[in-house]
Amino acid sequence: MVLPGVNAVTGEGLADFADTHLRSQERLMSRFNPNSPVSELNRCGANEAFAPPPALWKILWQCREHWQRTRGAFDITQWPLNRLWREHLERGEPPSDDAINETRARTGMERMRFDASSRTIKFEAAGQGIDLGGFGKGYALEQLAVCFRERGVARAFFSFGESSVTVIGSHPHGPTWPVGIANMFHPETSVHSFSLRDASLSTSGTAPFNQTGGPQTFGHIINPRDGRPIAGYRTMSVTVPNAADAEVLSTALLVTAEADRAEILKTYPNVSAIEFVYESRGNDFAPRIQWRYET
Amino acid sequence: MNPAATILRRASNGDMKHDSTPSPPVLNELTHRREFLKRLAVIAGSTALLAEMPWWSPLRAAPPGDSPADRVRVGLVGVGSRGNLHLTNLLRTPGVEIAALCDDYDPHLQAGLAKVPGAKGFSEYRKMLDMPGLDGVVIATPLNLHAQMCLDAFSAGKHVFCEKSLAYTIEECQAIANAYRGSKKVFQIGHQRLFHPPYLRALEFARRGEIGDIKQIRAYWHRNGNWRNPCPSPELEHRLNWRLYRAYSCGLMTELASHHIQVANWFLEAHPLSVVGYGSINFWKDGRELYDNVNLVYRYPNGVHVIFDSLISNRFYGAEVQIMGPKGTIEGETGRLFAEKPPPAPGIVQLINSLEHGLFETIPIGGPSWVPDLKKDTKGIVLGNEHTGDDGSYLEIVAFANAIRRNEPIPNMMEQACLSGVAVLMGQTAMEQGREVTWPSDFKV
Repeated sequence: MVLPGVNAVTGEGLADFADTHLRSQERLMSRFNPNSPVSELNRCGANEAFAPPPALWKILWQCREHWQRTRGAFDITQWPLNRLWREHLERGEPPSDDAINETRARTGMERMRFDASSRTIKFEAAGQGIDLGGFGKGYALEQLAVCFRERGVARAFFSFGESSVTVIGSHPHGPTWPVGIANMFHPETSVHSFSLRDASLSTSGTAPFNQTGGPQTFGHIINPRDGRPIAGYRTMSVTVPNAADAEVLSTALLVTAEADRAEILKTYPNVSAIEFVYESRGNDFAPRIQWRYET
Repeated sequence: MNPAATILRRASNGDMKHDSTPSPPVLNELTHRREFLKRLAVIAGSTALLAEMPWWSPLRAAPPGDSPADRVRVGLVGVGSRGNLHLTNLLRTPGVEIAALCDDYDPHLQAGLAKVPGAKGFSEYRKMLDMPGLDGVVIATPLNLHAQMCLDAFSAGKHVFCEKSLAYTIEECQAIANAYRGSKKVFQIGHQRLFHPPYLRALEFARRGEIGDIKQIRAYWHRNGNWRNPCPSPELEHRLNWRLYRAYSCGLMTELASHHIQVANWFLEAHPLSVVGYGSINFWKDGRELYDNVNLVYRYPNGVHVIFDSLISNRFYGAEVQIMGPKGTIEGETGRLFAEKPPPAPGIVQLINSLEHGLFETIPIGGPSWVPDLKKDTKGIVLGNEHTGDDGSYLEIVAFANAIRRNEPIPNMMEQACLSGVAVLMGQTAMEQGREVTWPSDFKV
């Protein structure tokens, strides 16, 4: 978080506020915290009604809307498939078709029933669950930006682990915030630059390295439509005013065939997006623009 | 990167994994260990290392061959739990012959002799000291016996390895220090952290100013258990469970706190000026005499305090030594350093830099991977990834054997032994008498 032109005392206060806000969001949405409402929901059996707290209901309802708007490309119920692939690839072999099909029967938001009158949720199959990793960062960041604006912050730059960036206002020395998309193989260089003003940027992709710089055993994104990881080293970067939308679209567009992307984007105004494919060149990988979209 | 630490990592290079396998062929293992010690000798010779940790100097010696002239003959007094660990490590140390074992509890003695068939067994240590050809003794007996055994061993012309804590009273600590000074013999104390590689790295980081001047040390040692040894019959209770009774020990202070106070003295390069504290028996009310929980504050020079607490009715926090400075915290037991202000992710650094220089430029920041940029450094830097599989208990024995062979004292060892040995006794007195106890000003190392 960078707050230009804010004095140290105000800055510390805002940082504390952000810390508290993000922690409370994490308590709400993390599936790794056994006491979170998400973990409670994930422990529910088939057809067991669960009434999430209002804050979570709101999030899940939004996820359901994004699932519809992206025609199933954004889906918070996919992680049993991610786990299946991760476990198999770490052992060095892909899962069998049977295993994929069996797991797919426990995924898909069409198997997650929302009852708007009682505000309850039921999974149709046993062993279903949700993971808000692809949404929560953007959602929390968006709320944070709203709060900061209310507190009179005119310029801010938020980087949530670099894969999600949100800005308020503009750079102090220019009309926008210029934000580069780092080359996955040469992170000190940019492959593309976005000019952000009161907007968010999210990048999804299949990274060749893990967090500590070692080779990635499983950095893949699963396509909900066939239960298989997308191929190659690719990134999808999306800018849009709302941080949660950016998060949703960067993953959803990546797993959607190029021909079908325009249809999804009809329901999301003011989007810019760019997709890179990294192609092998001797000992190196070179980025190539695969697809581009401007509203 | 400190060259010593680098080479140490190279020296360890996996071969010590054998520690966990039950019975590797001894010869093979000794060959492995020779290789390890040979590589270790290179780093122990580094002047940077020896300036900070002079007691590593015996490890400069290349491991000996099999010639009888190289052999060091050692007797072990006390073949209980700690004694058994020393026995195992002595067996693994090239050029050491365990010539004698001594224990007045026959089952322990016989179990030890079964592991070292060539050794001579004794029930009285003085008879063992009379044995011809014995170079040194390793003392792993109850605390109240340390002083007399050390004194007798020095006067019999033996080199001495004594388990911590040094002695049962401050006067005895002084007597051992005096006897050592006149003896020209090797003295080693069982404070294995002095030979534990992560602590070596921790010291290196601390001395380099990575955490700033040390302003507080918080140490704790928590277990959940009655701290008893199985006792076949009631009349053996005091002999086998001596750690619970005041006539033999100061319990948690001498058996656990002494390690952490030694680390504090070492990192602060000082001894405590005074101590206050409370202790009680609030859980294990089973007839024991020594506290099952202790809480102390040690006052060091320059307004620095060391807080130690220990209890044996809750193990949630385990054991840790937290060395705190304005720039960071070192956790010694797990070998980690936590920065107060961890460096931000590179993209953010570049952004701030360009803002400060009035530049409007594109910063490559967006990427698909997750770069943690936390307000608090929760992961820390791992200080000790030298997987020697040893907490220093092996190297302290190797250092002892090498020092005997080279007939060179181990620098600073008696000082380390006295500073922690006296400090924990001060703590015990403070708790028992409910008063502040000051450092004995006439104490001379």
